[in-house]
Amino acid sequence: MTPLFELRDVCFDYEGIPALRGLSLQINRSERLALLGANGSGKSTLLRMLDGLCSPSQGSLHFEARQLTAELLQRDDFALPFRRRVALVFQNPDVQLFNPTVFDEVAFAPLQLGWSREQVLSRVEQTLEYMRLTGVRDRPPYRLSGGEKKRVALASVLVLDPEVLLLDEPTATLDPRSQSQIIDLIQEWKGSSKTVISATHQLEIVEDIADRVILLEEGKVAAMGAPAEILSNNELLLRANLVHAHRHSHNGVVHSHPHIHSHSKHEH
Amino acid sequence: MSRSFLESTTVGFGRAFTRAMLSETTAQQRGLLQSLDPRVRVVGLFALVLAVELSRKIAVVAALLVVAVVMAVASRVSIFTLAKRVWLIALGFTGVIALPAIFVTPGRPIAALGTVAITEQGLRTAALLVLRVETAVTFTTLLVLCTPWSHVLKALRALRLPKEAIVMLAMTYRYVFLLVETASQMFESRRSRTVGVLKPQGQRRMAARTAGVLLSKSFALSDNVYLAMQSRGFRGDVQVLSDWRLTMWDFIALFGFLLAGSFAVWMGR
Amino acid sequence: MHIPDGYLSPSTCGVLYVGAGAGWYGALKRVKRALLGRVIPLISVFAAFSFVVMMFNLPLPGGTTGHALGVTIAAIVLGPSGAILALSIALAIQALFFGDGGITTLGANCFNMAIIASLVAYASYRLIAARAALTSRRRVVAAAIAGYLAVNAAALIAAVEFGIQPMLFHDASGTPLYAPYPLSIAVPAMMIGHLTFAGLAEAVISAGLVAYLQVADPALLRATSGVIADGDDARSTAPSFRRLWIMIAVFMLLTPLGILAAGRAWGEWSPAELAHAASSASTTGLAPSTVPAGLQRLASFWTAPFPAYAPAFVHSRGFGYLLSAMFGIGIVLIFSLVARSLAARSRRKESSA
Repeated sequence: MTPLFELRDVCFDYEGIPALRGLSLQINRSERLALLGANGSGKSTLLRMLDGLCSPSQGSLHFEARQLTAELLQRDDFALPFRRRVALVFQNPDVQLFNPTVFDEVAFAPLQLGWSREQVLSRVEQTLEYMRLTGVRDRPPYRLSGGEKKRVALASVLVLDPEVLLLDEPTATLDPRSQSQIIDLIQEWKGSSKTVISATHQLEIVEDIADRVILLEEGKVAAMGAPAEILSNNELLLRANLVHAHRHSHNGVVHSHPHIHSHSKHEH
Repeated sequence: MSRSFLESTTVGFGRAFTRAMLSETTAQQRGLLQSLDPRVRVVGLFALVLAVELSRKIAVVAALLVVAVVMAVASRVSIFTLAKRVWLIALGFTGVIALPAIFVTPGRPIAALGTVAITEQGLRTAALLVLRVETAVTFTTLLVLCTPWSHVLKALRALRLPKEAIVMLAMTYRYVFLLVETASQMFESRRSRTVGVLKPQGQRRMAARTAGVLLSKSFALSDNVYLAMQSRGFRGDVQVLSDWRLTMWDFIALFGFLLAGSFAVWMGR
Repeated sequence: MHIPDGYLSPSTCGVLYVGAGAGWYGALKRVKRALLGRVIPLISVFAAFSFVVMMFNLPLPGGTTGHALGVTIAAIVLGPSGAILALSIALAIQALFFGDGGITTLGANCFNMAIIASLVAYASYRLIAARAALTSRRRVVAAAIAGYLAVNAAALIAAVEFGIQPMLFHDASGTPLYAPYPLSIAVPAMMIGHLTFAGLAEAVISAGLVAYLQVADPALLRATSGVIADGDDARSTAPSFRRLWIMIAVFMLLTPLGILAAGRAWGEWSPAELAHAASSASTTGLAPSTVPAGLQRLASFWTAPFPAYAPAFVHSRGFGYLLSAMFGIGIVLIFSLVARSLAARSRRKESSA
């Protein structure tokens, strides 16, 4: 079966600074994937590339066996279906919330893709209900809480019912309740035909949202495998700057070992 | 009174938010203006502002001011709010400008203050100017208080303004608040790290640096917003939704606005 | 400098709306051509930025405070067309939403503060900075001067708009219907505030921002740096004419000196002056003693709009000379710009045919 996405030796520079250095990867349909990496490892760049927002400076990117290039995306007959099927939720919701009200925001994508007025209105209502945003439908973005903004950002792409969801740090900076809401959503998609690729540096949620983990280090794939496998490899995680080791104490004992500060307990 | 740059600018920022909040609460009231289609509101109130501009008689402009006040009351806008936020400020600004005109305008002298004479023409021109300014700004304020910004823009769109302009007005408004928040946070952190009040030169440098950081962030923001727009299908020609239907009441109100305006212009010619 | 409703007559507002509309149309076309879809987020965010900068209450040398426009940095970073659009949008939101400036006068405010100010800021900055390095001190100074000039140019135009109101719009008894002060009061009154405060505020923020960008993000200064892009002849000719512009400006400022000369230049008499001269000794001895028949017949053929270089509404002869000089240079400039663009267009047609 052809992979949904395939990257071969992809390089990308952002204003002279290399973000991706020879990255090769295959992503299959209906996978739930987690891209793990510290800030600056290239996660966001990779997601944007998968959404066709930037092109490799070297190497090639293929979507359903077709090479994804800037020229291909200029063609409406390819671009319109692509934009509907592949959706990206940005790390900073303020970037994605550029319309006057929540309703306008959710309606933006279907409008740009040429849906009819009735389709737009009904689908937006459905999505607002699904994401429990009907109460704030007429609110401007600056009056939304962090969790609400993230939900609106999600709603603004879910309205299209995309097949591929690219999530850049879906739970970062959220309070616990909003975090769990997002995680619940992602878990709902398990077993569906949706492909979900989440980039995160929060190790504690990885097992909940992914079946396969790709570890990125300095713009390249450093490791790949099942969540349990990767998360138990402390050496790897330390090197990738995803965990730290410093002296700490509990149970009255002072010691040091790789760990992250989270809700999960660990044994000694 | 020397208020530091930080304080006075932050106060100005606060004004923006309170204005926005006031507009939102007023727009949700059930009053005369709120019940009308936003397009009728925009056309009607613009027509009345135009009537204010075209009338040449003080009595007519004063009558239009009365109309404005009546509309305000009918739309649940408190006179006190109008007075505090609109009338006094406009009076302060225009009053100062109009005052010398009483003495300086050539014409028939009515009274004398020492060697300086007050002319009839001077009094009339000052009154006319002040009344015009107050009435026009009342109408404009009523429009904005009773209409959410997004509706104002959609109404302008329906009146054939180019859609790029509308989208830019919408996006600018939206990001003004984000940038104001960012700037406020920068000021906050600056204030907490400064002991005492900075000298003016230091304040100027801080202002320039804050503006500079804001500028760089603005560019990064615009780059990202563009990507976000593209990601959701924007290809250069933005599509917008128009979703109002005019009712009988709207037509009546529109007719009323235009009639009042024309009458005022005719009476004031 | 935001003009509220009521200060300008509807016809003045109409004329300025048309002028502003032309500016907006031209600017939008140019910016769209350069940026395509990017224009919407770029201009919007920059407009939001200028809006916020306009709120800064800047402390000025001398102990006062003032507000800047942000038009100069807009012109430097976005170029004149982008600046026109960004400032216009910021002004529109200020007028519509905050009541800062009227809506009938929005055209006038945009004409003054978005269009004229952007063009003056851009032209002065390019002239003074020329091809200096992106990080040179010269650019900081250029930004300061450009900002000062731009704000004062806008203030001057606004003052003229105010000043002509009483003369053109008054009722039968002579009561001015809109702004009540003639040019002789409006111009000094407006200019004093801006030559001192607002101009300085703009200079301070423009210089400060350019200095900041030189360190933090010099790429943003590149658009108007005078570094020639391929195939762009318009920009490459501007710097080499710099000395010519300076010379023109100097000569323009010197024109009122002519008033000092007594009497009439030889050969420039009107029939009335010749008839008068016969009975006085104010002309040189070589003047004809009677009025020549041809002069008598043709003297009334053409009535100049600005007879004797003094427009009717200007009382100071010196100022009249200056206005006439600016007007004349303006006409020549427009004519040569049109001629050049027509020539360039026909050249392009030839080369692509």
